[in-house]
Amino acid sequence: MKATLEVINRMRTDGVIGKYAIGGAVGATFYLEPSATLDIDVFVSLQTMPGSVLITVAPIYTHLTSHGYKTEGEYIVIEGWPVQFLSPGDALTEEALEQAIETEVEGIRTWVMTAEHLVAIALKTGRPKDYARILQFIESGILDTNRLDSILSRHGLLEKWEQFGHRFFGDDK
Amino acid sequence: MSEWMRKVLESKRQMRKKIAALPFSEKIKILEKLRDRSLAIASNPLRRRLSHRG
Repeated sequence: MKATLEVINRMRTDGVIGKYAIGGAVGATFYLEPSATLDIDVFVSLQTMPGSVLITVAPIYTHLTSHGYKTEGEYIVIEGWPVQFLSPGDALTEEALEQAIETEVEGIRTWVMTAEHLVAIALKTGRPKDYARILQFIESGILDTNRLDSILSRHGLLEKWEQFGHRFFGDDK
Repeated sequence: MSEWMRKVLESKRQMRKKIAALPFSEKIKILEKLRDRSLAIASNPLRRRLSHRG
């Protein structure tokens, strides 16, 4: 993954992408025990295309394919890892990208979403594997509950959080 | 739940906590091994034969 991050960082230096943050299972691994995943979710800030109001990840794929990297469906394989570049589609992911934490993987600088943003995004996405990850975060005891409440409130997710609590903890939560 | 099972679960919890506390680089190495194993299992011909049977 070190080589993958080096390529992504180079794209940042070259101005192909702006700020980026790792989310999904790899992002969660920053805080939790690792769980098997086959890909890396990278959220990137993008500029609109000249003369267009659409924000697209197409320039990233064009840049990488011109450097010999192959696409596999919605992924592009960079140094052995399928990477999915995602443009923040809402205020929550924009905020998560903005507040991402700087860290290192084998000496390579990178950014990871905060635990609370990963939980909020997982809650919003709402697949069974997202709920499983939320439970892992809760069990780990690392969540800042004030910070999480504030994020959930800001992004209209408090009701969904209540429903999640009732579903998995009954009245115990 | 039996006392034995309680101990097993607690031991698993402690192990998960210990691994979660490792540096990010170390955890990424574990993640890479897990991924390699998942890919190896997925490409096993026996598994493919079984999945064809539904």
